[in-house]
Amino acid sequence: MAVTGALGGAATLAACGGATGGGDGGGGASGEELVGVGNNGEAGTGRSGEAADQLFIAGFQWSPPTTFNTFAAAPAWPASANVAQYIYETLLRFHIVSGELLPGLAASYEVNGTESITLTLQDGITWHDGSEFTPEDVIYTFELGKIDPGLGVASFWNDVDELTAEGNTLNIAINQERKNVGAVLNSLATQFIVAKSQFEQAVEESGDSIAAWETMEPLGTGPFTLELADQTQIILARHEDYWGQDFYGGLPAMTKIIHPIFKSNEDGNLKFQNGELDVMQQFVPQIWKMWESGKPVGTYLREEPYYTPGSMPMLLINTTKPGLDDPAVRKALAHAVDYASIAETAMSGYSSQVLASLIIPDGAEDQWLDRDKAAADGWTFDAAKAEQLLQDAGYEKGSDGFYAKDGQKLGPWKLITPQGWTDWNAALEIVAKNLQSIGVDAATNFPQQAQTQSAIQNGDFDMACWYVAGTGPATPWQRFSDVMSNVDMAPAGQTAYRNYGRWENDEVNDLLTAASSAADDASKLEALTALDNLYRAEVPAFPLMYRPDEFFEFNAGNWSNWPAEDNDYAAPMFRGAGNQWIFELKKIGG
Amino acid sequence: MSTVNTSMAEETMAPRANPLRSFNFSGRFWTALVLVVFVILLGLAGFVYPTGPAEKVGSLYDAPGGGLLLGTDNFGHDVLAVLMAGTRTSLIIGLVAGIVATTIGVTIGLVAGYVGGWFEELLMGVTNVVLAIPAIVVLILISVSLPESTIWSLAVVIGITSWPWTARAVRAQASSVATREHIDVARLSGARLGGILVKDVLPYILSYAVMAFVLQVAGAILAEAALSMLGLGPSGANSLGTQLHWSLAFQAVASGAWWAFLPPTLVLTLVSFGFLLLQASLDEVFNPRLRRGKRKQMKQAAARRAEEARALAAQQAAPSDSSLPTRAGDPA
Repeated sequence: MAVTGALGGAATLAACGGATGGGDGGGGASGEELVGVGNNGEAGTGRSGEAADQLFIAGFQWSPPTTFNTFAAAPAWPASANVAQYIYETLLRFHIVSGELLPGLAASYEVNGTESITLTLQDGITWHDGSEFTPEDVIYTFELGKIDPGLGVASFWNDVDELTAEGNTLNIAINQERKNVGAVLNSLATQFIVAKSQFEQAVEESGDSIAAWETMEPLGTGPFTLELADQTQIILARHEDYWGQDFYGGLPAMTKIIHPIFKSNEDGNLKFQNGELDVMQQFVPQIWKMWESGKPVGTYLREEPYYTPGSMPMLLINTTKPGLDDPAVRKALAHAVDYASIAETAMSGYSSQVLASLIIPDGAEDQWLDRDKAAADGWTFDAAKAEQLLQDAGYEKGSDGFYAKDGQKLGPWKLITPQGWTDWNAALEIVAKNLQSIGVDAATNFPQQAQTQSAIQNGDFDMACWYVAGTGPATPWQRFSDVMSNVDMAPAGQTAYRNYGRWENDEVNDLLTAASSAADDASKLEALTALDNLYRAEVPAFPLMYRPDEFFEFNAGNWSNWPAEDNDYAAPMFRGAGNQWIFELKKIGG
Repeated sequence: MSTVNTSMAEETMAPRANPLRSFNFSGRFWTALVLVVFVILLGLAGFVYPTGPAEKVGSLYDAPGGGLLLGTDNFGHDVLAVLMAGTRTSLIIGLVAGIVATTIGVTIGLVAGYVGGWFEELLMGVTNVVLAIPAIVVLILISVSLPESTIWSLAVVIGITSWPWTARAVRAQASSVATREHIDVARLSGARLGGILVKDVLPYILSYAVMAFVLQVAGAILAEAALSMLGLGPSGANSLGTQLHWSLAFQAVASGAWWAFLPPTLVLTLVSFGFLLLQASLDEVFNPRLRRGKRKQMKQAAARRAEEARALAAQQAAPSDSSLPTRAGDPA
């Protein structure tokens, strides 16, 4: 079915010359039609020996693992929050394509208006040490945010008044001032549940500063346990007594998951191309070259942009700077950027055409988007129109070639983003050239990551390429809040956690509240559209490209039945619902 | 680094009929000149090349062909156009940095070598300390802390980190020149320190300074490439280093886009090789003892000198006074 016929864009191949699925010599899979293989319809012949039953994964861990405490500042894979349900699991699992919340540790959930959420836990869940999983564990996990307010989980209590258990049922009373159901569901879908027994000890040992507590023995409920973690690799071993065998229909297909630790993208990409890695989450420029050269490499979308969009890197604009405080100027800037060029070169073609909206026009968020409005009141790349907008707003080109008004020149502005984030570096180079060419003085500057982040949070920047919330249960509301919220506005010089551009507006907070507390879909859509309209009128920031939430690419050298458009039983994810495919992969060899 | 202690004293004494011939340029010199001129022309060719370095003419890493001699880079720009612009930038940075470094080095070396005493100790102490610090580390630190890096700031930064070895070598020569008689004459005639340094000491080490400058230019071009590869290059400008930086960042090596990284590598190699060769061949020009011209040339020169000597002898012998004493065994 998926073979050669459904090739489409990548069909510049030498007319499907290759044999399918280990055809040479009539290997293991002869006669069987493999699905979920490379984009060229190819599959490998499988590895031999022990490695045939192992899954090699990369792209999550770049330094030697130091702690598997999921609350630490930089926990090792797979204990870092919301990265994969291998050791720790979440109550609900978000599916990035359908937008659904699938059951996890909780068998079902029910949202009662904006009042409360009820969860029913699965039966028979056990911890890796054999002890029973109880609602107490769930409550304690969230309570840790009260014990140590510095933890990320503490924000759960901004939106929740009370979390109580009754038998196997959990009841969450939502804060009625904020009524933010989406944010609560997001917490439920991303917060790993930890064992009360282990973390009571952690609290004691660390004197309530849980993030500082270190452990190399994560105790979870997931299908894998940590076998080994050293400088070069992290190895997870299958947990044979996994509770979810009935729920997921068996144990995972692989006995071990091995994550080698590389120094750079290049090492990983090379190993991936050679089939020494089965699946990874890395930026590979021109990945199509891999399947064009006959490697059994594949992506979820078989044609451009290959990856499902899930995040929206923004050009943040500091609206406190003279010149940038003028919405007309910001709108002109949005017209000046050559988005197609960014998508094609900086993003290696992995981004579809950007719309003038804070809603991603694909997958889970698409239902909230008013495309006609985005097209009508939005912007596309049009340098002439950009200059026209500046002239209409009273700006005049000076002898230096730059626009100015009342002696206030547009620039010199710096475009910042961290050094080494190559796709964003390249994107900003393109933006700088675009702005120069319409008569706005801008140049790139790439500080180190920590420096960039603090500059952005403290409002000490002109323009920056930075990320806002990626697709999840709380978006698009969360993204509107990240970009536009006027709640707890931090003046320049103080740390902000949202609205880094310090854009001020009187109506936005009410609109945000209306969107988060909307009781039904119709009113939610109305509120989100109102927000999007305000966004288009004021342009507090604008997206430069779409990026996948995770780069999901696989090499069908040893395993087949990878999730893809034509084999879409699971999402192209590692986090959330992305644990589905570890149960369904099929070994090719032996 | 060549620190040949050469003096042009003997060279400049007797004017010759043909100055060019007396320089005795070797084949190596011409080779080096061709290389350097080629690179300079490549840099200048950008002015007449139809495509600008910032024009998008294709996609990410299009292979050479279809009117694009070297394909496109990761921005979809014409690699050849970028290469021309980059070469020009690298040469400018090299020249400016070379001038800065040589000026600082020669000044410090001259003053230290001529003045001597505790002042010399002090200056050389500073020089040695700076020499001991790895230049690249200082370069990186300064570049990171600059608010923004432009071609000029980068050139100056490279210049002020690479003068010490020039200063040391010049000091050694200046202190040897300082002990010669003509300096005493100058001093007795009341010349000021500055005047003596410029008029009486500098000419003797000028040849060395020129060679140091050539080396500094080559070194600065490589230093710029190293910095730019790390992503500390001039923002908004193309240089050979930034070209390499982007081709590394976008994994040109892994994806087989040789046209993105080989040309700048080749030009860098050519330019530094050309300048080093130029320096080495200038060495021969300034220092006759190092000449390695063709044997035939040497023979010709020897024959020419013998001929001149014979002619001189004949001239002197023409009036043939028998009063001149002749040694026994001399042919009459």
